[in-house]
Amino acid sequence: MSLLDFSSDAFIAAFFLYCFGFMFYGVSALGRKWSNRSPEEHTRRWGRIAYAVSILGFAAHVTFFITRWIGGGHIPTSNMYEFMTFLAMAIMFAFVVVNAIYRKPLLGLFTLPLTVIIVAFAAVFPQEVQPLIPALQSIWLKIHVTTAATGEAFFAVGFAAGLMYLLRTVDFKKTDERARREQRWVEFTLYVIVVIIAFIGSVFAFRGAGYEASFKQENVEISDTGVDNTTTETVEYSLPPIFKPYNSQVVSMDAFLGFKEPLMETPHWMKGVNAARKLNTITWSVINGTILYGLLRLVLRKRIGAAIHPLMDGIDEDDIDEISYRAIAIGYPIFMLGALIFAMIWAYIAWSRFWGWDPKEVWALITWLYYTAYLHLRLSRGWHGAKSAWLAVIGFVVVMFTLIGVNLVLVGLHSYAGV
Amino acid sequence: MLTFENTKCECGHQNPVGTVLCESCGNPLDVEEAASEAPLEMRYDGIARRSQKANPSPIDRVWNFFSSVKVAVRLIVITLIASIVGTIFTQENAFISFDPSTYYEERYGWIGKWYYKLGLSNTYESWWFIGLLVMIGTSLVICSLDRVLPLYRALNKQQIRKHLTFLTRQKTVYASSVEGAPEAWTASMAEQLKRRHYRVHQDGDALLAEKYRFSRWGPYINHIGLIVFLLAVLLRSLPGWAMDTYITVPEGETVQIPETNLYVKNEKFTIDYYKDDELPESLKGTARAKLYETKAVLYECEADCDDPSKQPQLKEVKRHSIIVNDPLSYQGIKAYQFGYDDTPKLKSVNPVLIDHKTGKTYGPFKLEMRNPELTYALGPYTLELRQTYMDFALDSEGKPTTKSKEPNAPAFVFVLKGPDLAEGGEPYMYFPKQNDKARFSQDVINGELAKRFEIKVPSMEGVEFAGVVTSLNIRSDRAMPYIWVGAGISMFGLLLGSYWHHRRIWLRIDGGRVTIGAHTNKNNYGMRAEVASALRGLGIVVEPKSLDNGRNKS
Amino acid sequence: MKSNRRLIQLVIFLGVLVLGGYAIGNALFASKDGLPRKGSEPPDFALLDMNGKTHRLADYKGKALVINFWGTYCPGCVYETPDLVKQYEKHKDKPFEVVGINLGEDKLTINNFVKQFDVSYTILQNENNDVQRKYGLKSYPTTFFVKPDGTILDIFVGPMAEADMDKRIEKLLAS
Repeated sequence: MSLLDFSSDAFIAAFFLYCFGFMFYGVSALGRKWSNRSPEEHTRRWGRIAYAVSILGFAAHVTFFITRWIGGGHIPTSNMYEFMTFLAMAIMFAFVVVNAIYRKPLLGLFTLPLTVIIVAFAAVFPQEVQPLIPALQSIWLKIHVTTAATGEAFFAVGFAAGLMYLLRTVDFKKTDERARREQRWVEFTLYVIVVIIAFIGSVFAFRGAGYEASFKQENVEISDTGVDNTTTETVEYSLPPIFKPYNSQVVSMDAFLGFKEPLMETPHWMKGVNAARKLNTITWSVINGTILYGLLRLVLRKRIGAAIHPLMDGIDEDDIDEISYRAIAIGYPIFMLGALIFAMIWAYIAWSRFWGWDPKEVWALITWLYYTAYLHLRLSRGWHGAKSAWLAVIGFVVVMFTLIGVNLVLVGLHSYAGV
Repeated sequence: MLTFENTKCECGHQNPVGTVLCESCGNPLDVEEAASEAPLEMRYDGIARRSQKANPSPIDRVWNFFSSVKVAVRLIVITLIASIVGTIFTQENAFISFDPSTYYEERYGWIGKWYYKLGLSNTYESWWFIGLLVMIGTSLVICSLDRVLPLYRALNKQQIRKHLTFLTRQKTVYASSVEGAPEAWTASMAEQLKRRHYRVHQDGDALLAEKYRFSRWGPYINHIGLIVFLLAVLLRSLPGWAMDTYITVPEGETVQIPETNLYVKNEKFTIDYYKDDELPESLKGTARAKLYETKAVLYECEADCDDPSKQPQLKEVKRHSIIVNDPLSYQGIKAYQFGYDDTPKLKSVNPVLIDHKTGKTYGPFKLEMRNPELTYALGPYTLELRQTYMDFALDSEGKPTTKSKEPNAPAFVFVLKGPDLAEGGEPYMYFPKQNDKARFSQDVINGELAKRFEIKVPSMEGVEFAGVVTSLNIRSDRAMPYIWVGAGISMFGLLLGSYWHHRRIWLRIDGGRVTIGAHTNKNNYGMRAEVASALRGLGIVVEPKSLDNGRNKS
Repeated sequence: MKSNRRLIQLVIFLGVLVLGGYAIGNALFASKDGLPRKGSEPPDFALLDMNGKTHRLADYKGKALVINFWGTYCPGCVYETPDLVKQYEKHKDKPFEVVGINLGEDKLTINNFVKQFDVSYTILQNENNDVQRKYGLKSYPTTFFVKPDGTILDIFVGPMAEADMDKRIEKLLAS
């Protein structure tokens, strides 16, 4: 068995250990009510088991990372799959650090599922080891990417704690204007998470079933000299086409639910790289996410937030507020060092300028400005509690857009990190 | 919130207007603050900030505006939104040559048109974006100055014995009765705190313990670093501080770097691709670059530099293999691998003149594409070059012309002189490229002469191509050291402020009752744990949580 | 103390006004590329004419000067050349010069062209095209009209009709 095969086995092991870790954290929080031990004893015992399993998962993850590094010949942070797996590992590292300070195992109840989602999301992208293009052959690939990701991982833990705070404090029984607004937004956040899970689930379900559809798309471009230039390209889908590419013909298409033809055509103004396929994937995710959300509502017979809220009884909300803030305060300098300063140094060496307003650079700056505002609001303007928690949640959306959105939606020099 | 009440504290200290907590004893002076039960507003130790004064003049008003953190946060948020807007469509500076006035509309429709019209296609160079950065810089200076000086004064002359209210309204509070001599109890607590690296000042039965005060300066050091950084960025716009130019150097040739007396020679350019066995399944068969390398030599011109009639005298100063992550660097000038052009360009051909009647062959002779010789003696014959077209074409009137100076479709007009030929010679048009010869029907142009004579390259060995052209980005950026210093100072300050926390503990014993108040600017959780652990050292067991005096709730 | 504070405030505001004003002004007005514009002085050059003699911009100081960038492969350049020759012949006894900077072609091509159009003004060779870059040329032909004081009166991009030339050269000679 080659080192790289071993590496991917370790990765799968890590994934399942994280899942179990999450389950045990769930038992630790859920089981208090029906366990025959005292609630504190139950929580402590299962919290410890869950933590141990999570740490085992982390160890497997580190094994994956090191063996892939040795087997691949370069640090595995050079494409979307590798970066996302590294981010998940960094989140676990941040969780271990924050947990060492605060000893609040229940933080795992929120960090572990986040890690599981990111690990699963990583697996959507091609997993092969790709040799480095010249631009990436630098020691700064190691330094810049790892520090930036570590900073972002602390923001992720801040997000997990922030969401936890909101689920703890938002009262789902109240009916006044403010409470209802908060309930709606918490529920919306959870809905988005369900959609992301549905996205990953859909991709793997259809990939597992071997679904394929392929199109021939004609692109007409008018060149500088005014000549029409028609090129055809083949577009492959792995999800059944709801939207086919603009101006395209079906080459082959597996039937799905009796549909043998795409339902609609992508509007012509969507012109990005693989715009049609992305639109199709997003549509599938939203549809499946909504179905999944509906099923959950049916099973729970109430809003998801209202169902989770009672689990959080007895947790000191001030502690979670503090944890969320501390995680961000720890991550902020690391992020600035990795995502701005090291990034500038590398950009100066590789691209001859330390700053060029490339979309990825701008979004790193946006993330930095965002958390700068967060810290000033908290430290100087006294934004604690719910306001601070919302900022932590939104901040993570900004981080994720910087990491994924920029590569998928915007164009720029960082495009080699894309799918 | 300005208060114009008597600013003299009950301890007798005269405080400046705007003081929240007495500078001396810490008793709350602000009416609202004094009436409250919540933990004290300890920001900047309750001192009056410079901006908070009575009867502000217009200058004070501007000063007040920039000294507000609320304003600073607003500026940050506006800059953030502006930055987002600038990433919606590709900015103009990302293109090398294009026409922005039509590009955005053609590609993105009316949204693109307005994006361009509003100047958003150049967001980051726009006057208003620069203006935002200037305002943030101003805010950095004024906010910091307005707080750091009073804070320095407040921390520099601290009272050991503070007002009891000051202690009981800290976030971490402990109170209980103690037995034994108050001085001795205080001293043993001092001992515990010293063990935890506190600097302890004791005044009888009162105590002030403090550690990591330096972390309070972290944010200000950070801000200074950011200001240095912004100023360094400004320096780059001074003439002569930043150079950014591109040169293209064909293999084997030497090219001057514009506006310098430096010359770069491209000794060899290499492109390497990964072989199939190095690539994963999905990439096999694709050209994935492994290496772009220019073996470069840098020369400095010593004499005859500015005289095109003479050859410049060059001295080698540096030799370097430029690859993507490793530029050549010489006295602040750097040469970066930027691109290459390996489309084959004809450099010279070595054709022969064939006399079909006699079957004799004359030559070969070397015909350069650039600056060819004008006459060629070939046995009894002479070829005189009369005209060249490097990129041959026929214009609208059907006359021969050239489309560019690149030898894409070279054509040569000779006059052939010699035996059996007309007095002044006869014209012969020669296309070195075989496909051009057919495309422009060389034999038809040359008519009768083509039947007797032919100029042609006998074999591929007679064809020389110009080397691969490398393109280098030449940069000099004299502000870079200041940029790095600014970034370094800023990072240093941030580390100080983030990973160390200023902690202070006050203690006083009044009539057999000890009161401990503790304050930290960050991480109250750790503060409580530390107080609890110090108390445990004295045999008093308390849950850290029980020291919590409630928090600021928003 | 109070006057001291006021002084610090003023110094800081002054600094902000100067530095900030410079930064914003730079973004508003300055051409970042440093390329010649109307009113600025054109960049110096040192080029060989067809006889191998070096010509510099400084040599033309005090004369009205027309700098024309051209190539035989540029139809617009070919179109305007006869008129430019006419203009030169008309004014050549005045302190007036025309310089045609060729865009990197070889000697033979240039000489043929000069002969074909009876070009009497100075033709300079610029083999590596660096002058063209310094002058920020985007398309051919481009003509710079330089006043005797060494500043640019006008820049004309594209082929000029006779009237275009006449109007500008009259203005140039009047200045």
